[in-house]
Amino acid sequence: MNAAEDEAAVERVLAGDSSAFENIVRRWQGPLVNLAYRFCRDRSRAEDMAQEAFLRAYRSLHGWHREAAFSTWLFALATNVYRSEIRRIPVRTLSLDEIAEPRDDRASDGVFEYGDRDRALRRAVVALPPKYRDVLILFYFHNMDVSSTARSLALPEGTVKARLSRGRDILRKKLSQRAGPLWIEEEA
Amino acid sequence: MRYDAVDRILSKEQQIIPSAGFIMAVMGAVRGERAVPPPIPFPWRRALPGALAAILALVALSIAGTRLFTDPASTQQISWPVLSTLTLILGPRHAVGASWIATSLIGSFIAVRLSMCFARREA
Repeated sequence: MNAAEDEAAVERVLAGDSSAFENIVRRWQGPLVNLAYRFCRDRSRAEDMAQEAFLRAYRSLHGWHREAAFSTWLFALATNVYRSEIRRIPVRTLSLDEIAEPRDDRASDGVFEYGDRDRALRRAVVALPPKYRDVLILFYFHNMDVSSTARSLALPEGTVKARLSRGRDILRKKLSQRAGPLWIEEEA
Repeated sequence: MRYDAVDRILSKEQQIIPSAGFIMAVMGAVRGERAVPPPIPFPWRRALPGALAAILALVALSIAGTRLFTDPASTQQISWPVLSTLTLILGPRHAVGASWIATSLIGSFIAVRLSMCFARREA
């Protein structure tokens, strides 16, 4: 299914054929559930949040004016739904200072195991202040594309870059205190 | 752009596959949404005359109120039929306060009766 098929499905739904919405759900269920998961880190809740986003999209289909791609509109709408949902019922997170200590002796030299480190970092993103959290989540969700991130959050690209930089600095600073020498920077 | 450990870890997130019943659940919710009747639009055509009358009444009352504060004696000259009748009934001494109360009570009564009448007709 491509953008033209998205548009055709939307036209059918707007004409009263609600079963055409299934094509949209089928195509976008993966991305929307994955985006929700990055906000809440809970699979079941991610599906509930994605369902709410689809329902909101169904109700607001007439509000898509085709200035942007359907995917852009859908991601922006879903992002708003997820942010509101997380604001309403916050994710239970550990503070950055409480993130897990190494679990076994091999890692007792103060260095995280790779799996622990990766999990800790992802949870640390969720624990960031919302303005940095949202930008980081969307940036990596959109394969590190600043303009897609900016469109999804309805922010100027400059603001996205600034928040991205600040958010990553917070993460590096907080986590390097606990994880030590693993955080060696590389040039791309 | 500098590519570091943060980028490397966060960009290789494992993909979640939605559960088998996800599409069914969403479509069930969509069908439920369709089954709900659309909200009744606000009856602007009916409400407009009432709203205009209320605005006019409010303006008239504000003018009369202003006059009352600036020149209490001028209330005797208000020649509206309701106020004049009330003045006659209640006597000139206490008519000012009582007439306003009576006017507002009558206004409220008429508004309630009218809205109940419209609601009954809609049902």
